[in-house]
Amino acid sequence: MEQFIKELLVAVEEGDIEGAVKSALDAVEKSNVDPLDYFENCLAPAMNELGDQFSRMEIFLPDLMVAGEIADAIREELVKKLDSVQDSNKGKIVIGTISGDNHDIGKKMVATMLGVNGYEIIDLGTDVDPMDFINTAKKEKADIIAMSSLLSTSMPFISETIEYLVAMGLKDSVKVVVGGGPISADWAQEVGADGYGHDAKQAVDMVNALLS
Amino acid sequence: MRSQTKLVDMLTKIETGKIMEEKDFDKLITTTVKDVLKKYQISYNKEDAINMDDDLADRLFQGGLEVAERVGIYCKSTHRQITYTRDEILEGLKWAPDSVEYGRSLDKVTVHTRRPEDTTPVVNFCSPFGTPLDENIYSKVMESYAQSPYVDIIYGGCYHKIHGFAPKTHSPWEVLATWREIEDMKSATRRANRPGLGIGTDANSVSEIGTLTCTSYDGFAKNDVHLACFISELKTDYTQLMRVAHTIKSDAVLHGFYNAIYGGMAGGAEGLALISTAGEILLSVIYMTTTNSMSPAHPFFNSNTAPEMVWAISAAQQALNRNTHILTTVMTSPSGGPATECLLYECATMATATTVSGTSRIDGVRSAVGVELNHCSGLEAQFNAECARAATGMTRKTANELIKNFQKEYVPFLGTNPIGKPFTEVYNLDTLKPTEEWKGMYDKVKSNLTSMGMVFE
Repeated sequence: MEQFIKELLVAVEEGDIEGAVKSALDAVEKSNVDPLDYFENCLAPAMNELGDQFSRMEIFLPDLMVAGEIADAIREELVKKLDSVQDSNKGKIVIGTISGDNHDIGKKMVATMLGVNGYEIIDLGTDVDPMDFINTAKKEKADIIAMSSLLSTSMPFISETIEYLVAMGLKDSVKVVVGGGPISADWAQEVGADGYGHDAKQAVDMVNALLS
Repeated sequence: MRSQTKLVDMLTKIETGKIMEEKDFDKLITTTVKDVLKKYQISYNKEDAINMDDDLADRLFQGGLEVAERVGIYCKSTHRQITYTRDEILEGLKWAPDSVEYGRSLDKVTVHTRRPEDTTPVVNFCSPFGTPLDENIYSKVMESYAQSPYVDIIYGGCYHKIHGFAPKTHSPWEVLATWREIEDMKSATRRANRPGLGIGTDANSVSEIGTLTCTSYDGFAKNDVHLACFISELKTDYTQLMRVAHTIKSDAVLHGFYNAIYGGMAGGAEGLALISTAGEILLSVIYMTTTNSMSPAHPFFNSNTAPEMVWAISAAQQALNRNTHILTTVMTSPSGGPATECLLYECATMATATTVSGTSRIDGVRSAVGVELNHCSGLEAQFNAECARAATGMTRKTANELIKNFQKEYVPFLGTNPIGKPFTEVYNLDTLKPTEEWKGMYDKVKSNLTSMGMVFE
């Protein structure tokens, strides 16, 4: 399996999506690696390694985005090889930057890291109305609503979203996680969020724990 | 102002530029930055704390021009890419102002173009930028800045709550917050006996509503500092453009800022230097700004004092200040908060690096990255200004060695969330003097810096 991990990391470095998919298919078709075994013991550790490299700023967002594209492409191909249809996604997350805030890059880093780690991401972008988060989560049967705010003047919209979820009787059907510069773990707890991530790496650990 | 005659041309481009999806614009940034870095052989030299290579600074400027021309900016409101030809960019830079006056009467100051290693003093625009403050101490906090003679202009923090409510963006609470800001800022300058001190406007205005409010009847003055920004990376929207149009039509002073993300679409240190250079060029040309600021952010620390970022900022500043006369500024955004030595060494680093790189004005200090309630004080802003004065006329060679030593004192703490203490614990609220603990720490660090070779006035 080490050889396949190595090939995958080289493909990410070179931005070679086709090469990565070919390596994965070769593993399954020529070396008789079980697709689920490939997911668990090649794709997941390789993506974890890339996430760690990003958290040390040894690779950057464009590299991580390529890794995300490669992981999606491999998943798409290998799911076809499974004996029965199985959902390889770890969960569905609706993510966005809340109303009044157009900061995008930090949220994009979190979304990409979550995608790389096996979650299905629905990115609503920036300046997202609370009801858009809620309606999308309902429609998509999402496991998590993830909201970001880099502005203290937008934080009230996050607490309002949680208030709306409670008032609509939806709070128990979806977890709410939050993050962004002015947000603290204490504030997240105070407004009733289920989780808080200080940065992209911590966000993945927190979501893994919430959905485990 | 003669540099601002292209407003309608710019707004026309906003409505007629090439229609593009935002994700395609992001990819264009990444591919263009990679291509231009290679073409101009721009790379980060981690052996140096700041850029020491004039030729690299000049290549960086040429690379910045090329990124500006090939990428332009993206308007999120019209979903269009806005591009300018090389001739249009150079024409815009040609007419950019090379000086600006702030304030009135005895507190009037002038910001001039500076070059690397310039002997002209840097102007100090002092503020806790973005830091949430309790309404009942807001004016006293700002007075702690205004009362220092080292402070040339001030700009407010943000209200944590106004009349008990959070001042939500684009709501009536934003209007109330900006009106309260006018009262508190003016009373702070009057109590400090500096009624003519220049002020930055609408610190509490995220949307255009607050900006329009506080520059209406009896609000801020024309030559107070009005702000508009690019959204990261290289984007704008109608909110920002309304600010630009309003400020230009009001014949007021416009400060533009663009804070790129380290490790983001442009990649590492050299990419950050390149996109920051391109961004300042585009701000000057497209927004027709008076002054142009960069304060990139770290994705994990949120501050801008990590060694890679200090190098990138210094390189971008040298690129711009060697090759244009635009008025450049940099905000000090440290991880450390009041009553931490970390904060003071971060200030010493950023003030020294930017002053010797030709920055016209230094801004800040946004202590504890501007997000901790009441975690700021006037003392660090004065200290930032004192360090800038000490670095005025210094060679980059000397600054480079000094900064390497400063960085040994704070870099190990960057990931430890060293937020320090709130204003109420580092200042006496009656006398508005720093506590013995905070003043003692300031004296100790200043003494250490002196022993390292900094010469304070």
